Amino acid sequence: MSGPLLEVSKLTLDYRLGTRKMPALDRISFSLEKGEVLGIAGESGCGKSTLGLAIIRLLPRVAEIRRGEILFDGRDLLKLSEEQMDREIRGQKVTMIFQNPQNALNPVFRIETQMIDILRVQDKYQKSRRRKRRHNYRQQAIERLRSTGIADPSERISNYPFEFSGGMKQRVMIGMALSSGTSLLLADEATTALDVTIEAQINRLITNLAAEYGTAILYISHDLGVLSEIADRIMIMYAGRTFEMGPTEAILGSPRHPYSVALLESLPGRQSRGKRLLSIPGFVPPLDQLPGGCSFHPRCRFAEPMCSQQVPPLIEVSKGHWSSCLLDQKRGRQKWQWT
Amino acid sequence: MEMQTANQKEAGMAPVQLTLKRKWSDTLRVTLRAVVKVKGGLWGGIFVGLMLLCAIGAQWISPSDPDAQDIAHRFAGPSFTHFLGTDYLGRDILSRIIYGCRIAIIVSFGAVTLSSIVGVFLGVISGYNEGKKLDYFIIWLFDIVRSFPQIILALAIVAVLGPSLFNVVVALAFTAFPFYGRVARAQTLSVKEADYVKAAEAMGQKRFRIILKHITPNILAPVIVCLGMDMATMIIWESGLSFLGLGVRPPTASWGIMLRNGYKYIQTSPLMILWPAVAITMAMIAFSLFSEGLRVALDPKERER
Amino acid sequence: MLKYTIKRTLWMIPTLLGVLIILFSLTYLMPGDPASAMLGPRATPELVAELNQRLHLDKAMPVRLGYYLLGVVKGDLGTSVWSGHKVSSLIAQALPHTVLLAITSLGIAAFIGILLGAFSALRRDSPIGGAVTIISLLGVAVPDFVAALLLMLLFCIQIPILPALGAGAEGDLVDVAVHLILPATALGIGWVGYLSRLMRESMLDVLDSDYIRTARAFAVPRDIITYRYALKNAVIPCITVIGLGVGKLLGGAVFVEIIFSRPGLGKLIVDAVYARDFPMVQGGILVATILFVFANLLADISYAFVDPRIQYG
Repeated sequence: MSGPLLEVSKLTLDYRLGTRKMPALDRISFSLEKGEVLGIAGESGCGKSTLGLAIIRLLPRVAEIRRGEILFDGRDLLKLSEEQMDREIRGQKVTMIFQNPQNALNPVFRIETQMIDILRVQDKYQKSRRRKRRHNYRQQAIERLRSTGIADPSERISNYPFEFSGGMKQRVMIGMALSSGTSLLLADEATTALDVTIEAQINRLITNLAAEYGTAILYISHDLGVLSEIADRIMIMYAGRTFEMGPTEAILGSPRHPYSVALLESLPGRQSRGKRLLSIPGFVPPLDQLPGGCSFHPRCRFAEPMCSQQVPPLIEVSKGHWSSCLLDQKRGRQKWQWT
Repeated sequence: MEMQTANQKEAGMAPVQLTLKRKWSDTLRVTLRAVVKVKGGLWGGIFVGLMLLCAIGAQWISPSDPDAQDIAHRFAGPSFTHFLGTDYLGRDILSRIIYGCRIAIIVSFGAVTLSSIVGVFLGVISGYNEGKKLDYFIIWLFDIVRSFPQIILALAIVAVLGPSLFNVVVALAFTAFPFYGRVARAQTLSVKEADYVKAAEAMGQKRFRIILKHITPNILAPVIVCLGMDMATMIIWESGLSFLGLGVRPPTASWGIMLRNGYKYIQTSPLMILWPAVAITMAMIAFSLFSEGLRVALDPKERER
Repeated sequence: MLKYTIKRTLWMIPTLLGVLIILFSLTYLMPGDPASAMLGPRATPELVAELNQRLHLDKAMPVRLGYYLLGVVKGDLGTSVWSGHKVSSLIAQALPHTVLLAITSLGIAAFIGILLGAFSALRRDSPIGGAVTIISLLGVAVPDFVAALLLMLLFCIQIPILPALGAGAEGDLVDVAVHLILPATALGIGWVGYLSRLMRESMLDVLDSDYIRTARAFAVPRDIITYRYALKNAVIPCITVIGLGVGKLLGGAVFVEIIFSRPGLGKLIVDAVYARDFPMVQGGILVATILFVFANLLADISYAFVDPRIQYG
């Protein structure tokens, strides 16, 4: 089957809160190849988590998809029924791990129970001929734990979640989410809640396993530092829109959008010693109070009148590199100096 | 603990954090407004106000004398002179209900005040002396009283002391003080460890005064909410005790006594039971709604919902 | 698990001791002379003296306390002044009725309440949610003895279909059951209301939680999510509440037994209070309190069963 693994076109969705409508995603489009790692970057509230949830169709009830397609292996996920999603997609071809491992596991059941339930479901939907017994599932679960680096898995599998540390809980989640059948892993701030030292280990684990199984990753994170290490391509989002998208080296080395430049400059390490860290003035606007035109223009040092009048389209400014800044598109690559 | 910024006011939510700097009248006004916003808080508040009115002004509101007997017209149904009918001695039920409001409010208010003062006092002392013998002793006291099923304890106390309004208040207060005690103790414990207490101490203020100064606003919110609900339960228990003949003494008009009489004559006059039952139920609902509204109004986290 | 149980049970001992001390000191609260008060109109100097001697009322306080505690430990709660029988045997006769009433009403109320609550949480949009809320508000608002009176008014007097008094002929299960209907309903109505609301909120909270989201992300079937994962978590606050509520139930049982003239611990205590039968009152309250404490202990322990985090705390 040729073509990208995942192709999202013009995905637009709102959150309906009482009478208010908050546009959460605006015509998001991108594609992801088999085995590729795409980083989704942006500040809180930019819609990156919403994007992940939309793909696996776990959005809250108040979310309304206005238009768009999510083509996975050629099929539009938005057109599938809940049953089909459960049967074929969720937990098998497409899996998701979340930010807070503390709350991601059911506190009143043992790890083994939860893992076995999931393995059973996976078997059922893959219509495995062999009827496995609980013992087999338990072994399988133990192997999964072992593959994620948990020591003494046959003992620990009988523990309750509160007996695991955050990093270990995330390993359990990874063990459940990554297997040979997984084509796409959605990782939503998977290591944000962990200590920095553990963070590196977990990210290495994720990328190693994914490489082994040939799994593509949509890695959602606000941390460009992490993304710079593991992502092949990066997409930068702001207030529900894509501002820039391209290969990691291109984004890091020659960013086109002022916002991307600002994000990069606010990373410690990018600044020479002694200089102040950049903090972008102002704050991310609430989704129901988006400015007209380019949604970043009120905070942008370089904004010009046209920035408030026209919503910049996302245009391919060089091979595989897309940006949505009018000034960049009209004048070619600028050096955006924030400090 | 400054007043919240203009942003919150714009969002339509009144800030209700209690500080020592603001005027109590401001706090009251703002709290009431917030309570009213909660569904039902308004109705609860109105009915509670109505009850207070009846309690205070019974002699002016009540259409007849609650003790005036009219044997010729006993068990009468509703009429213009007797809106709710008459009881087995021909007394006007509506007037007795209104005077019953007075008993209900007096008992519940008295019991709740007594138990909360004693309870909070003991709780603060206990929390302040955490770990020491005094603390263990007070906790022991709390646990003992809490071990008794409340109504049975109240029953026993009134039985021993003899039925009267005062004894009922004392008995009910005795069964309730541990709850306030525990809340107060928990608050004291958490305030004790707070950074601002340590900071104030570092600046030379005496520990006990600091704790007292900072506990009071923190305690007020949960205690006030407890008070609301407690008053409702006290009203019910007073009625219960009076129903058993172990509460207020007849011929005082208490809803419980009216129920007792109604029970005796249940086959003759359903109205004698119905009206006090309705009164008690509505009082309960009113206090519940009002204290629920109070709870939501006083809890900054809740208001986000 | 065991350690936790032992710890909790040990703490009960000083508490129960305090309970006994309080019960003991009740005699001192009585205005006037206890013995004459107990005998009432029958009091003659000889009877008073005899009672004083029998109940050790003439001795010093520590001695009396000693006699009292010794008696309790031996299971001897004294003799009823009014009927002459041993207090413990009277209680033993009455207790099963109360227990039956309590278990029936609580059991049915818990079952209905939890199911209703879970159901209304799952069918968020249907009008059932609103109906449940209204019913539960009413249920909670009407106090149990008022409910008992109203039920009696409605179903015994106005529409005479159910028996008003008594517990039914012993051994005749149907009769006993019929006599249980109104009392159990009166006691249980508040609970159904409260539990269904609590369960509904708890369930809604749980359904929104991260771990349920994880289960859905892994396509765990809906019914397993609801009936295993969500339910077990959502039921936890209900169990605590039920445990705590046994006390209220005992109190309510007192009234219901009086109103429906059912034999039971509550009626025993109240009748003893009317008769100024002091040893009976003391003994009855002691048993009621022990039951209450025991029920709380059980609730705590069962809570630990359901939520494994507790035992390690």
